[in-house]
Amino acid sequence: MPSTFFSSSDTIVAIATPPGRGALGVIRLSGPDAHRIAGTLLGRSTPLEPRRATFARIRRSRSIDQVVATFFPGPASYTGQDLVELGAHGSPIVLRQIIDAAVAAGARLAEPGEFTLRAFLNGKIDLVQAEAVADLIDSVTPLQARAAFDQLEGTLTDAISAIDARLFDVIARLEASLDFPDEGYHFVDPGDLVRELDRILADTRALLRRAETGRLIREGLQVVIVGKPNVGKSTLFNTLAGAARAIVTAQPGTTRDLLTETIDLDGLKMTLVDTAGIRETHNEVEREGVLRARRAQDVADARILVLDGSEPLDAEDVAILLNDQNSRDLCVVNKVDVGSAWRAADVPALLGRPVVMMSLRTGEGVDALKPALLQALGVEAPERDPVRVTNARHIGLLTDCIESLARARAAVDMSGGAIPEEFVLDDLHDAREKLEQVRGRRAPDAVLQEIFSRFCIGK
Amino acid sequence: MSDDFDVIVIGAGHAGCEAAWAAARLGSRVALCSLSRDTVAHMPCNPAVGGTAKGHLVREIDALGGLMGEAIDATGIQFKLLNRSRGPAVWSPRAQADKREYGRWVRARLETEPNITWICGKAGRIVIESDRIRGIELEEGGGFIPGRALVITTGTFLNGLIHIGPETQPAGRAGEPPSRDLAESLKSFGFRWGRLKTGTPPRLLRESIDFDGGVSRGTFVEERGDAEPVPFSFLTDAIAREPTSCYLLYTNEAVRDLVRAHVGESPLFNGQIKGIGPRYCPSLEDKIVRFPDRERHQVYLEPEGVESREIYVNGCSMSLPRAVQESIIRALPGLADAVVLRPGYAVEYDFIQPTELRRSLETKRIAGLFLAGQINGTSGYEEAAGQGLMAGINAARLVRGEPALGLGRDQAYLGILIDELITKGCLEPYRMFTSRAEHRLLLRIDNADLRLTPIGRSIGLVDDTRWSRFEARQARFARNREALQSTALRTPCGNRASALEWLRRPEVKLADLYRDGQIALEVQAGQEGLDLASLETTIKYEGYLRRQVATVERLRREEGRRIPEAFAFATVPGLSREVIQRLSEVRPDTLGQALRIPGVTPAAVAVIGAYLGRPMRPAAS
Repeated sequence: MPSTFFSSSDTIVAIATPPGRGALGVIRLSGPDAHRIAGTLLGRSTPLEPRRATFARIRRSRSIDQVVATFFPGPASYTGQDLVELGAHGSPIVLRQIIDAAVAAGARLAEPGEFTLRAFLNGKIDLVQAEAVADLIDSVTPLQARAAFDQLEGTLTDAISAIDARLFDVIARLEASLDFPDEGYHFVDPGDLVRELDRILADTRALLRRAETGRLIREGLQVVIVGKPNVGKSTLFNTLAGAARAIVTAQPGTTRDLLTETIDLDGLKMTLVDTAGIRETHNEVEREGVLRARRAQDVADARILVLDGSEPLDAEDVAILLNDQNSRDLCVVNKVDVGSAWRAADVPALLGRPVVMMSLRTGEGVDALKPALLQALGVEAPERDPVRVTNARHIGLLTDCIESLARARAAVDMSGGAIPEEFVLDDLHDAREKLEQVRGRRAPDAVLQEIFSRFCIGK
Repeated sequence: MSDDFDVIVIGAGHAGCEAAWAAARLGSRVALCSLSRDTVAHMPCNPAVGGTAKGHLVREIDALGGLMGEAIDATGIQFKLLNRSRGPAVWSPRAQADKREYGRWVRARLETEPNITWICGKAGRIVIESDRIRGIELEEGGGFIPGRALVITTGTFLNGLIHIGPETQPAGRAGEPPSRDLAESLKSFGFRWGRLKTGTPPRLLRESIDFDGGVSRGTFVEERGDAEPVPFSFLTDAIAREPTSCYLLYTNEAVRDLVRAHVGESPLFNGQIKGIGPRYCPSLEDKIVRFPDRERHQVYLEPEGVESREIYVNGCSMSLPRAVQESIIRALPGLADAVVLRPGYAVEYDFIQPTELRRSLETKRIAGLFLAGQINGTSGYEEAAGQGLMAGINAARLVRGEPALGLGRDQAYLGILIDELITKGCLEPYRMFTSRAEHRLLLRIDNADLRLTPIGRSIGLVDDTRWSRFEARQARFARNREALQSTALRTPCGNRASALEWLRRPEVKLADLYRDGQIALEVQAGQEGLDLASLETTIKYEGYLRRQVATVERLRREEGRRIPEAFAFATVPGLSREVIQRLSEVRPDTLGQALRIPGVTPAAVAVIGAYLGRPMRPAAS
């Protein structure tokens, strides 16, 4: 890390738009001298009007470009400092010249992420939101972008704040009962305490449950297509990929190596893996293909198990079905146009996995594939619960938080309050600290403040 | 220089007495300067010591070798262990004091100490030489007292202003003059100041109240305190005095209506008072105006001593005009004939923002100048005594060229008290609460000696008597634990288990096992209850305690990184101007302390941490 990284007393400059040619290119300046440097670049003696787009020319020895300059005075700016945005034409040469001119006027080239770091340091955004900015920029599917945007907007922060507020209320009441025993108040009812802790636990657990799908949204997931040779795996792969990537022949064992394709399945970033059909074989190349297919299954987030519906299931099918179940398996029964040799309900080896019947040749039943896959992945209706935890750091902290809450809850239960309040509180404070760490913020010592504002303390 | 005192202490309240005692016991020649020898360790407000978290402070003062614990044990007239039905970490002793006897006891103890010279006079200008203490002048021609360290414990005397309705009167507390020259002198050093307010209720004539009648009519509830008192001091074998009763009653609608009708005459509400009062100790006006939904408020009638004719009306602190106060008192149930001896009043006073202080309680601006007690914005005798003790210890250590003694937040409430004062400053009079202690389970009254007596011994404040008693207690503790381990019990289900394992069950109580004769333990008279509590707590809650110890160790690693004393925060890139200003005022000594400063974000502390962790640059660049 460069030693200048933490400095926010100087003024930084960077091109905010991606590298390459475009109609427009945006340059940002942030820091105490942002306005002065912009004035130098624009050759203006009059100040820029705050938050108003101003047409101007960038001058050095001669005019470089026409720009639209907008001045956002701190603290009401993205970074919390004075910030100027210059919208120029998107020529890399022009943008480079403007940057050079800004540096010559006293700005410093920004390090990656430094604008967001300044926003965080100045308390404009919390840690969750800072992390979300990076995720939003890196998102490649609409669902990723949406989850990141929700975090930036603070929906995760809000969800955690809501849990924190209730936890805080419980803590304040319990603390009041300890510090003010003689005030004639009944601060906490044991029944209420149990109910409230249960609700807080349930809310936190629900948040964490959604975390797993959140992580899939953020990181994308790998879905591997497995089955016996010649059941239609590669056809399925091509159908989902929307292109004839895999060679499809009537000959069993055509696919030897792993084929991968990244697709956007209704907003979900998915890496689809086509594999060699699994069977005993003496062909060395095919044997290596089968080995790779098995390995791919082991690391996949989900599997599509393809079966031939026109033939009775044989030992190899059953072996594949029984071989390590993945909680996100989907069974595709192909070739239903040729015939129906068995009914899913009669096959115990399916182990209750979701099943879609289809003919990849005629297209019959193929429409049901995507919804069934999304459902198997547990992300069928993302718009209904937008609050998602998408970050491994958050997941770890929420897991710790739940552990502390559960311990407190168990202690409250124990033989009708035989564990005294201060021990219960120890775990509740721990739980709260974990919530604060998610947001990268330490709550002020407001417990006493809360007590004094709500109760008349002082006999 | 041989005429110099080592340590001059101004004020002989709870802070001043502990400071003088500690410094003298550590070998300093001490001048104890007070207005009068009759108001030593005076209790101008409620005649009581202890309470939640305050009781903890007293136990800690005692464990280090201070006076307050022994003093209240000798002169208390009613003892109560608060929160007895709750867990051992929040048990807190409280006692009603015979306030005159209390002051006499403390004075007598101080008079046994040959290192203390008493000086009767009014402190005036502080004399310094290149920002170092030289001594103090006394007002009214009292002359100059030379000294190397100065501990100022003047309570509410700095520009004190008493309010009783429209009447105001400059004073420290009723009947005593304020300190003007001293205040001017302190201000000239450039300390940041604030103004606070506190108050006290009227005192009633004991004979004018029919206590027995009140009780028999159901108007008063008699409170007797604990039948088996738990002492404050680790040295106490028995509480000698017979308990005296207090009486609980409630305000009624007549009182409420009177307060509402006259609230405009209250200096608190008509703008006459500018200082900020404590929210945890509101005046009667405050309670009724700010909490209109509460139907009634508690009032305790507390005798100020065995022989005293004065009754303290706890819960009725007010600053209304005298006549209104009398009507309110007489409107209270059972007090129709009560005679008001002295009206309640509010007092405003100046305090120095304690962010001006180091952890030793020495000011950052003037070497050798220590401040303790209400002058630092605290309220309460216990908070004052605790600071006085630490200031006295550190003044003596400074004179001897020894490093200051600072206690951690994980070691003592005294550590929390000082850390919060010097880190956050005061916005209202500061009072200790157990909820301020993040490591509360470790800071119990039963283990105050285990935490602090060895420290008191190592600095020389714990004498041989206390030390041998402490060693006996440690040995007893170990033997008792051994006994629990080796004693097998038959459980109700017929199994056999060691007493130690059996005791881990939440519902099993050590006191029951001991009293039923199921287990033989060694006990020390008077200390039995807390001795057993130490034993039981460390066994029953072992898991909790171990987790909290782990947290302490983690925090010491993560937040214990030292920030150099003269560190220039302005050179750390990336900090906002406000943050730099707060940090430069407080000058935190660790990253953890920096994190506790209001307005300093964890992000800012991370930046400082990263900056401090930077490898040194080559000198040439």
